[in-house]
Amino acid sequence: MRKAGLGAVSVALVLGLAACGSSSSGGGAAGPGGGSANPKATIVLGTTDTIVSADPAGAYDLPSWNFQYNIYQKLLAVPPGTSDVAPEAGKCDFKGKTTYVCTVVPGQKFSNGDPLTAEDVVYSFNRVLAINSPNGPASLFAPMKSVSASGDTVTFTLKAPDATWPNVLTTAAASIVDKAVFPAKKLLADDKVVGSGPYQLSSYTPNQLAEFTPNPHYGGTDQLNNSKFVVKFEQDASTLVSDAQSGQVDIAYRTLSPTQLSALGNSDGLSLAKGVGIEIRYLVFNQKLQPGGTAEQKLAIRQAAAQVVDRSSIASSVYRDTVSPLYSIIPQGLNGATDALKTAYGAGPDVTKAKAALAAAGVSTPVSLTIWYNVNHYNDADLATELMRQLNASGLFKVKLQTAEWATYDKAALTDTYPAFLFGWFPDYPDADDYTGPFFPCKTAFLNDHYCNPEVDRLITAEQASTSDTERNQTFAQMQTLLAKDVPLIPIWQGGQVAAVRDGVTGVESTLDPDYDFRFWLIGKS
Amino acid sequence: MAPRNTGSLRRYLVTRLLLVIPMVFILLTVVFVLMRVAPGDPIQASVGAHLSPAQLAVREHQAGFDQPLVVQYFHYLGQVLSGNFGTAITDHQAVTQIIIRNGGATLELTLSAMFIAVAVGVPLGLLAGRMRDSWVDVSSRLFGIVIYAAPVFFLGLLAQELFGRKLGWLPTSSQASVLTQLDIKSHTHVLILDAMIDGKWGDLPDLFKHLVLPATVLGLTISGVVIRLVRVNVIQTLRGDYIEAARARGIGERGVVVRHALRNALVPIVTITGLQAALLMSGAVLTEQTFNWPGIGNRLVFYLEARDYTAVQGIVTAFTLAVVVVSLLIDIVNAWIDPRVRY
Repeated sequence: MRKAGLGAVSVALVLGLAACGSSSSGGGAAGPGGGSANPKATIVLGTTDTIVSADPAGAYDLPSWNFQYNIYQKLLAVPPGTSDVAPEAGKCDFKGKTTYVCTVVPGQKFSNGDPLTAEDVVYSFNRVLAINSPNGPASLFAPMKSVSASGDTVTFTLKAPDATWPNVLTTAAASIVDKAVFPAKKLLADDKVVGSGPYQLSSYTPNQLAEFTPNPHYGGTDQLNNSKFVVKFEQDASTLVSDAQSGQVDIAYRTLSPTQLSALGNSDGLSLAKGVGIEIRYLVFNQKLQPGGTAEQKLAIRQAAAQVVDRSSIASSVYRDTVSPLYSIIPQGLNGATDALKTAYGAGPDVTKAKAALAAAGVSTPVSLTIWYNVNHYNDADLATELMRQLNASGLFKVKLQTAEWATYDKAALTDTYPAFLFGWFPDYPDADDYTGPFFPCKTAFLNDHYCNPEVDRLITAEQASTSDTERNQTFAQMQTLLAKDVPLIPIWQGGQVAAVRDGVTGVESTLDPDYDFRFWLIGKS
Repeated sequence: MAPRNTGSLRRYLVTRLLLVIPMVFILLTVVFVLMRVAPGDPIQASVGAHLSPAQLAVREHQAGFDQPLVVQYFHYLGQVLSGNFGTAITDHQAVTQIIIRNGGATLELTLSAMFIAVAVGVPLGLLAGRMRDSWVDVSSRLFGIVIYAAPVFFLGLLAQELFGRKLGWLPTSSQASVLTQLDIKSHTHVLILDAMIDGKWGDLPDLFKHLVLPATVLGLTISGVVIRLVRVNVIQTLRGDYIEAARARGIGERGVVVRHALRNALVPIVTITGLQAALLMSGAVLTEQTFNWPGIGNRLVFYLEARDYTAVQGIVTAFTLAVVVVSLLIDIVNAWIDPRVRY
């Protein structure tokens, strides 16, 4: 027993001494340097995101796509700071309304040295469809009828004219994989993936750490500003804040509350990098369940609510101006966006006009309305409370709030259970169609809110068929005017992108753009 | 006499092993039903906000989530029987791999915590038993009750606030700093062991530094039980005739307590310590959450939130088997250290 006791004390001492004697951890090496740019820098990014799959056929979510954007090439890409489509591993153009032809840029290689060919491109697309993973992106390829290769040319045949197809090719779903490595009918393990992008995934412990090093065979044009990029997956935002403050991570990116961002912005050695974001939040009315006896009364109630909501106040008081007021379903920063609701209802609330609209439709006030919101997916408690306050303060509404966990909320909201609910949208690609096509067609509307306007339907078909930017912008403008009048939903805010960045780390702001592609290669250290 | 003892022990162990089968079966069934009764599924949790109800229904159909529960249940049992825990839908990781990879971190935490529980609990219990009704006894008992009653996450938060944020002595999250993790190649998935295997001695301080707070918090919680148990057994043992006989033989009080009383008091302590394995596992879930420790309990919470049936069922089964194996080992050790034990 004496020996055991001594042993225990010894181990405890070793443990304690080791603990006290250790120097500062990994953040030290990853901390800020001084002087000129250092291309050999290691950058550590902390995030609360989780990765569904590093295989392009297995994921349809932003965090996984960010992973993939740095490992794989697509035929097309969105250059930093724009929402344009540009060549990456291919040069593409429409040859007819339903034929899209791409030529593979020569000299591209996967990180294992295999050349990237047109057959690889065809294989990649067919593979996504064949695997059809339950949480994969196969549905994005729904417009495609077939894909074929001939020499260095890839030909996509579409089911119908679709101007958004080039945008689909910029998404990570269209990442090109090596047909010699990726199995045709099943997903490849994350630590085995091989791409032709600027980085290779050198090591990956799921939900803990991912290490990216330069692809030695990279044949693209992007210049790398670091020699290693590490992603640290944090369990929650408070841990991310703590790691950013202690220097464990150089960049804290997603998902931090406005309060946490503000705290980080005021911390020593940290500053906030901001960029345009096109994530949006909106209030949906289920036109079957919302209050109002007739279609006219229902419309008047929606218009009155749109008239009363004070978006600027929400942006400043709830979000500390990390979001911007949103006056159309299509956010600012995208081609075709207008401020249709500002034009129709003004920038600020106008209770008199709202009252008049309700009175004209014979709606007795206050209108009882239950608004549902979610916390564990959208964290909308403060937004919902402020909305309720504003609507009730007008004297025209008597709002009651209800909440549900995401697993219940998502399904119930879209299956005729809630009369009004808060929802959000993250784009697949930065194009206005991604904010209208899934939302408003009478038969296939994603929200299942029973909104149907044949004219909006016609405009959606028209913009999807047109390849002229001018024409599409005009169509979107008409559509937004109609939507402002019908108010099937009330756009509330458009989220900016914000990251907390350690002093000396460069390039973060240049990658925070509407494409939501966090380009590791742009990040460096001075 | 001896051969008969061995036979009864063997029979007991075989019976215990056979009982594991219905136990795991019942547990799997309960977890299966609970997961299905709760709203949502992994596909909806993952891509729900991007798909219409119709599109979601198609994907759920492809995954077989719309099949009758009985069909899904027997499909799952078939998988488990073939030794295949399946693949998590949330992140496409093989459940066996999740258990192995994250189990290493849990093992590191629980073993360290158990060490601290024994290192703190046994001496304090011994002192309390020996000095019954003195201020030492009262203080030890009070400490034992309070520390055991305090929720582990609450203790964890207090420790993080004090040693992490106020004093800045220790890290409050993760198993290691980023560069240390990158430096260590995984062999056993127990980072400290992996560092030793590769001779990365320079990484050990960082690893221990990260281990101190979670292991101490969990260990102290468990020590509350150990203190009380050692105290009671020491008091009972000190009343024994052989203790009186030892004293009569002129053996010093220290020798009587340590060599005679404690040694005999340890038998039930070994049993109870083994039974604490379940408590340790559940404590590990909370401790791992509090300290962002990448153990299996941490993953269990993650997959529960994602409604990932496959992963949750696999991890719970692994937990069950771990507790069963520890219980069995304790029975064997008990029979070995105390010949009076009969089965």
